[in-house]
Amino acid sequence: MPKKIFFVEDDEGFYNIFSVPLKMKGYDIVRVSEGSSAVERIITEKPDLILLDIVLPGMSGLDILKELREREETQSVVVIMLTNFGSDENISRAMEYGANDYLMKYNIVPSELPDKIALFLGEDQDFNVKVMGS
Amino acid sequence: MEKITLLNILVILESLILLIISFILFFKLKDLSKLKKLQDELNDLKSSKNSARDDFLPILVHELRSPLSVIRGAADLLIKSTDELSVVQIQTLLNQIKNSSTTLLTMVGSILDVSKMENGKFEINKTFSDINSVLNEECSYFDPLTKIKKLSIQCTVDKDIPNFSFDIERVKQVLNNLISNAIKFSPEGAVITVTSKKTGSDCVVYVSDLGVGIPEHEKNSLFQKFFQASNQNGVQKGTGLGLFISKGIVEAHGGKIWFENNSPQGSKFCFSIPIKS
Repeated sequence: MPKKIFFVEDDEGFYNIFSVPLKMKGYDIVRVSEGSSAVERIITEKPDLILLDIVLPGMSGLDILKELREREETQSVVVIMLTNFGSDENISRAMEYGANDYLMKYNIVPSELPDKIALFLGEDQDFNVKVMGS
Repeated sequence: MEKITLLNILVILESLILLIISFILFFKLKDLSKLKKLQDELNDLKSSKNSARDDFLPILVHELRSPLSVIRGAADLLIKSTDELSVVQIQTLLNQIKNSSTTLLTMVGSILDVSKMENGKFEINKTFSDINSVLNEECSYFDPLTKIKKLSIQCTVDKDIPNFSFDIERVKQVLNNLISNAIKFSPEGAVITVTSKKTGSDCVVYVSDLGVGIPEHEKNSLFQKFFQASNQNGVQKGTGLGLFISKGIVEAHGGKIWFENNSPQGSKFCFSIPIKS
């Protein structure tokens, strides 16, 4: 049974690109584009890991994270913040609310995402990096 | 007797002089209090402008980084996973790079427009055209998007408006901004209306929606730089420059832009441009 990853992201372009290597690795990727429906869907569908943006319509990623950690059924689900908002304040709040990691979108490329996720899912990381000829 | 009279006169004169001095001091003090009050208000205004600019910078950085992340991500996939990608996937990635680059260019253009407007160097290029065609074109452009969002857009033009000189691309920019905002804030099933009307020697355009409207305390700030509506659910997006730039464009035409409450609910943004051949 493939691991299920919820990708909570309203930017379709970003999702289309960063979900490609995850799908290639065999994960079941579910996109949620509205913050307001994220919590209920997470409770219902029980993903193994959540990639969570901060700037979302309806409800911000930080508020979603806070609510997930307040509920018993979602207290321990792995949540990785994936955002371009990198202020110290946001990072502190996210870690205080219980995020497992905080990744900056501009600091990561799609090919690096599967290894980051494998770490949290307790899977082997793929160290075979594809490098095109120089 | 004369001495006493002289003394009395001197005392009265002295009292009068003291009274005059008191009045002068009283009014000067009042002026000083007014001056201090004005200075306090000026300091409050300066700090709120600085605060708006400081609050805006993280949002601007976020908005610039978003398309850049997409471009970089797409390029990374194209470089590292070429063998595993289908032709359709490659095309999708290339389109993403193109769309995100366009978004970035538009954003940079907005920042430049603002800079020119503030330095008095903003210029428009007028051509003799039909503004009603521009309105119809813009409504058609947004029609597919409104359908996706389960909205509708209606365009009603006044045939009495003759052709006149205006900057077509810049007026489209104003309409883009107003219609995009109307779509953003409209609930499902709502109708957005775009109307033109000849009023005196002006062409007046109205963009109305049935959305959440503007809170009373924000109406005076609508056309200021970095304005973000507080009634956006979730986190604010966008540069906050759209209405400021729209105002600059309309005023460069010698026109005006303003806001009215729509009835029974929602917003009505209006702008007028003088009809000159």
